[in-house]
Amino acid sequence: MKYHSPGFFWRHLLLLIFLLFTTYPLLWMTLTAFRTEGDAQQRPLGLPAAWTLQNVREVLHSGNFVQAYQNSLFLCIVAVLLAIAAAALAAFAFAHFKFRGSNTLFILFLLGMMIPVHVTLIPLNQLLGADYLNLKGSLMALIGPYAGFALPVSILILRRAFEAIPQELLDAGALDGCSSWQTFWHIGLPLAKPALSTVLIFNFLTMWNEYAFALTLLGPNCQTIPLAITEFKGEHDLRITAVCAALLLVIIPLIVVYLLAQKHIIRGLTAGSVK
Amino acid sequence: MLTPVGQSIHNSFFYWKSPLLKAEFCGLENFRLLLSDRIFWLALRNNAFLLLGSLLIQLPIALGIALLLNYPTRGRALFRTAFFTPMIIPTAAIAVLWQYLYEPQNGIFTALVRCFNPDFSYAWLASPSTSMIWIFVTICWQFIGFHTVLFMAGLATIPEELYEAARLDGASELQLCRRIILPCLKPICAVAATLSIIGSLKYFDLVYLMGAGLPETSREVLATYVYRLAFDENQGRYGYGSAVAVLLFLLALLIVTPLQLRKPDPQ
Repeated sequence: MKYHSPGFFWRHLLLLIFLLFTTYPLLWMTLTAFRTEGDAQQRPLGLPAAWTLQNVREVLHSGNFVQAYQNSLFLCIVAVLLAIAAAALAAFAFAHFKFRGSNTLFILFLLGMMIPVHVTLIPLNQLLGADYLNLKGSLMALIGPYAGFALPVSILILRRAFEAIPQELLDAGALDGCSSWQTFWHIGLPLAKPALSTVLIFNFLTMWNEYAFALTLLGPNCQTIPLAITEFKGEHDLRITAVCAALLLVIIPLIVVYLLAQKHIIRGLTAGSVK
Repeated sequence: MLTPVGQSIHNSFFYWKSPLLKAEFCGLENFRLLLSDRIFWLALRNNAFLLLGSLLIQLPIALGIALLLNYPTRGRALFRTAFFTPMIIPTAAIAVLWQYLYEPQNGIFTALVRCFNPDFSYAWLASPSTSMIWIFVTICWQFIGFHTVLFMAGLATIPEELYEAARLDGASELQLCRRIILPCLKPICAVAATLSIIGSLKYFDLVYLMGAGLPETSREVLATYVYRLAFDENQGRYGYGSAVAVLLFLLALLIVTPLQLRKPDPQ
């Protein structure tokens, strides 16, 4: 098809307007992070009058973002690995073994996808509180809920991937003397690699960005990235430039990763929520 | 995962004088209170507002953009990348950023209106009657790109021959859109609608953070109300909060189950 089909100009104009809507807030944030405070108050739009690194330096000094990054990384890696290990085993069983109640069980898992997670805030708070597990305030408190809520979607995606493996392959493995476990490990997992990476990306980003549970279950001494950024805003509310610099520190690494692994991330996020 | 839900239902029949004391059984008292609770109904209304907004405004815009991109477009990959970006940013960070964009004195929205009216000043997020609209704009910013990408994926599955055949038969662009593209997109539209509906019951971060400065009658959705009832200072109303949570759960089941059942099983 030719580029100059009807309405070429107007189509691109509309797209550019929407592009401006999407990107300008991020651009504004970036520019503000490098302004002086006075400049930000007087001329909030346009280019900075003078560029400064002072804000970024200040955030690195006074915020606890380094700690928050460590916390978030640790938490998300552990929880994602846990979730994937459990989900892969369960999904393989759902796909290739028929056992009594397997369908009911699967539907119960799917139900978990529809529950607004906030329904479970209060009971989890009780369960993890001082009366029972006494994990509140530490990262350990979040691992369980994060891994648990990652299960439904992960099982769904992985089950479809495992089901796509032809039964003959598995039978061939069994004929050669593979145990069920070996079949899973040597045939199932390698063939489900694309689905595994989808699940990994989807869950990692969801956990990385999770706010409500972290807010409820973590204390002031132990923060994840979303908590750190909102607290920084709370403390430096009137210093737009500093908060923008903090936002920049939170968002830039994500955008870099996104640009590097764009195809996988888009596929992971859309597949994750479609089914 | 199901245990907490059960616990929620159990909780909702109890009354806590304080989170530290033991709970007393109070039957359906919590639910009776709920029915006459103005804030609860207002929260429900806000949820409904966001839900309708997502279905009637957000999805059509996303579909429109996807259709525009479906024509031969310069820089399509760039548009797609840019539109999807907000999806990877933590919602908490989006809330913080947009609070500054809506700043009454020198936020960019105020600055924008000031191009036409130099004396303009407006507390976007602090006005009870309209703040939900501005929060909704932020939600659009976050999710339109996501839905656009969904629709683009759906459009990519329509075979080129269909368009060509229709054009040969003399179909106009509008007819093409109505007779071929939209019917082919039906399944993906259903998916997007289901996602929006489930999503709009789950709003928490944005509304909680951006509505922080509002009076309690206008800032809540169901999820934030649950949180505030149970965990805000001087509240600790676990039982009552759980009652709200149970209704939220039932609402989700009620709305989503028919949608899920209608969809043919992919296997």
